[in-house]
Amino acid sequence: MVLDNPLLLGAIGAGLAVGIAGFGSGIGAGIAGASGAGVIAEDPSKFGTAIVFQALPQTQGLYGFLVAILILFVFKNAPEWAMVGAGVATGLAGLSAIGQGIASAAGLGAVAEDEKIFGKAMVFSVLPETQAIYGLLVAILLLVGVFGNSLGATTIAALGAGLAVGFAGLSGIGQGITAAAAIGATARDPDAMGKGLVLAVMPETFAIFGLLIAILIMLGIMF
Amino acid sequence: MRPARMRKLRAVILDEKMDNVVRELHEEGLMELCDLTSKLEDPQWADLLSPSSPAPYLRDVSALLIKTNRFLDLFDSVKPEEKRGLKELLNPTLPPKEKVTFSSADEVIAYGRSLLESIEGEVKELAERLNYLESRINYLQQLKGYMEYLKDFDIDLEYVKSGPYTYVAVGLVPEDRISQLKERISSITDNLSEVIEGRTVITSEREKKVPVIVVTLKEYGDAVSGELRRSGFERIEISNLKGTPRENLEKIEEEIKECKKERETILNKLRELAKKWYRKLLVLHELLEIEKERAESYTKYGRTKRTYMLEGWVPEKYVDKAKSTIERASQGCGVVEVGEPDEPEEKIPVMLDNPKPVKPFEMLTEMFAPPKYNEIDPTLLIVPGFLIFFGIMLTDAVYGLLLTALGLFIWKKLGKISEGARNIGYILTLAGIATVVAGIITGGYLGDFLKQFLGFDIYKTPFALVNPLGESFYINESRPLFKIGNIAVDNGPIAILLFSILIGVLHLFIGLVIGFKENLEKKGFMEAFLNQGIWILLIIGVAVGVITNMPYLIAATVAVVVLLCIIKGYMKGGILDAMLGAMDITGFLGNVLSYARLLALCLATGGLAMAVNIMAKLIGDSIPVIGILLALIVLLIGHTFNFVMNGLGAFIHSLRLHYVEFFGQFYEGGGKKFQPFKAKREYTTVN
Repeated sequence: MVLDNPLLLGAIGAGLAVGIAGFGSGIGAGIAGASGAGVIAEDPSKFGTAIVFQALPQTQGLYGFLVAILILFVFKNAPEWAMVGAGVATGLAGLSAIGQGIASAAGLGAVAEDEKIFGKAMVFSVLPETQAIYGLLVAILLLVGVFGNSLGATTIAALGAGLAVGFAGLSGIGQGITAAAAIGATARDPDAMGKGLVLAVMPETFAIFGLLIAILIMLGIMF
Repeated sequence: MRPARMRKLRAVILDEKMDNVVRELHEEGLMELCDLTSKLEDPQWADLLSPSSPAPYLRDVSALLIKTNRFLDLFDSVKPEEKRGLKELLNPTLPPKEKVTFSSADEVIAYGRSLLESIEGEVKELAERLNYLESRINYLQQLKGYMEYLKDFDIDLEYVKSGPYTYVAVGLVPEDRISQLKERISSITDNLSEVIEGRTVITSEREKKVPVIVVTLKEYGDAVSGELRRSGFERIEISNLKGTPRENLEKIEEEIKECKKERETILNKLRELAKKWYRKLLVLHELLEIEKERAESYTKYGRTKRTYMLEGWVPEKYVDKAKSTIERASQGCGVVEVGEPDEPEEKIPVMLDNPKPVKPFEMLTEMFAPPKYNEIDPTLLIVPGFLIFFGIMLTDAVYGLLLTALGLFIWKKLGKISEGARNIGYILTLAGIATVVAGIITGGYLGDFLKQFLGFDIYKTPFALVNPLGESFYINESRPLFKIGNIAVDNGPIAILLFSILIGVLHLFIGLVIGFKENLEKKGFMEAFLNQGIWILLIIGVAVGVITNMPYLIAATVAVVVLLCIIKGYMKGGILDAMLGAMDITGFLGNVLSYARLLALCLATGGLAMAVNIMAKLIGDSIPVIGILLALIVLLIGHTFNFVMNGLGAFIHSLRLHYVEFFGQFYEGGGKKFQPFKAKREYTTVN
């Protein structure tokens, strides 16, 4: 034990979770909001649509907030390094909101032109959330103590797991850029949806690598 | 499980019966017309048929349509904002449709002419007068502005005019240039001039200007007016006015008031007329649009001297009906031939044909892309997966009830006027029920509301199966579900994670088997094995390995699969593709892990609901008296927000799992939707 009260380190985890994820969500929602402002200047009746698209990149911040609450109030007895790892995982992965903001901005632009594309634009805009969900997943696994007394989930190694899935979660920015372009392609040719999805899902590969390594670390089979 | 089978229908019809056939087909809407124009470029066809031009009544119909639109625009401009009460908004009613019995375009044209004539008779004079009044009011308002600027000059405007020997100009000069202007004018005119200034005014463009009257001798007129122009002088036209500006101001105001009063009475009259005619105009508009579509459809047919030939797609189950319709409408003067599709797959239109309870879900298929004609229609396959995933991701009985109520409302009330709303309402209702079931299983009732506020911990009772955030009565440390290696499934999250992965593997497996079957039929065993067979092998191998607890079997299967992927890559494009092929397995693993989002989102709903409850409790406990009120507000806003956000998330992430992971195994889509030649009737009916 590094500090006399494990929650002292936990507080750092909570801060990282809500702080970094909030940073990502802020930028993402800002990008989407800027597009929304442009759209409602043209057509004020699109306000509701703009709000929906702007809400998408805010979920990462929400996940950060959720994990902070879980650390501070629910899993107070989790291993201290698990708390930090959980915070880092959710926080860094929450930066995928930047990519989601880019995709949402494009989605909103496409919907402003043609309302029929709403569903498709939604699906594309939600792709870069996968990274944040993986971050949240690792955080939960760490906090709940799924892996028992494995060294990987209870010692400073847990921070490694958080870093793996967190930084790999930045692939969400790339994914957002692809998704934004794919929305444009689909708006021009609705049949491009399937192939556009394949391309847009590619950057997720790295998030999956991150998740895999995080799980391997938490399993702790190498120690 | 495939789109409706189509037949190609060809008919040759005597010209005088043709219009009747077109009308009947248009009312029934069973057939998508093919454009024969491109076929007629083929010399063999061109020998037999010549292109046909639109029906002769198109011109009259279009002219009437323009007129109808003009009246509709007029009535739209006078109609007061329609106040649709909340009740109407929440429970819209369709106005009854008008029954019409026109049997030819000429009848519709004659009806349209007489209707428009009688409307014109009542409206024309009023509309013209209204136009005149509008422009008169505009003119007077402008004049009034000028008089306001000049009102300090107490002088009869009749005298402020150029005479035989004098030059007079009245207008506004920017304030900062007035003194310079005065100097210049007096030097040009050798002091034989007068510039009378009024009090500075602020114009409607927010500029400070001085009203002036400039008087000089006629011979200096041109020079002075040039100087005035250079100083930014803005002339005021008063040549036909008498009396002082103040007197004029009164007169103008009086007239504006009168004009407005008259305008109001005219508007009222027009409003009355709008009430009387508006609906009739809408009906006429619809009738004319329908006639127009019929007239234009003639360009798709081919013709001989005395007959027309038409070609179109008809779903198999409507063939008999379409055939008898043509035979009846042509009174025996038509020949119908029905054949198998004679065109490549991508030209055949696709009509999804699912049983009624599944039909609304076609919306989700079409959102991705309608299937190709010979492809499988995945709608039925989407239903169970979509509902289960949605339920798991929202997991709250109270939210579920809310969603069911919302879905029912959209389905039953808003669905009356919109098919889209009916479909989405139906889907949401089912999704809501799935959420209630999932919520009961996981013991989520507004998150942990019961425990926070009533002290009732449902996870210590047998009423909830799993606890997404920890241990429950059934699954806890002393009663683990089972153990895999050294990991015990002894708490909620890991149980749900395991369930998510298992259901994901099952989901992928179904997709793979369907894809395998499809490929086997169309492209042969090799394609089927390389695209889907490998992964089926992997799933079966790993499953058997896990169940029999033989790690070597798992390792062997994985090795074989990686090897197969490398071979597949090599066959496709050499060494480089072979190396990429080795990575295929991570892609597949990614597909499986992607289903882990079920756990993450399930927990996010419950966790955020709990966060709301914790905040509300903190506020309620720490602030006296109004604390309870504030706590209620926090609960209301927080749970609404959580419900909307996670509802949206559950919906889209369920879709994503289908579009990306599931469809990736077997579905491509990209068919052309069946668009029947059908009269769009919103205000009228023929039955």
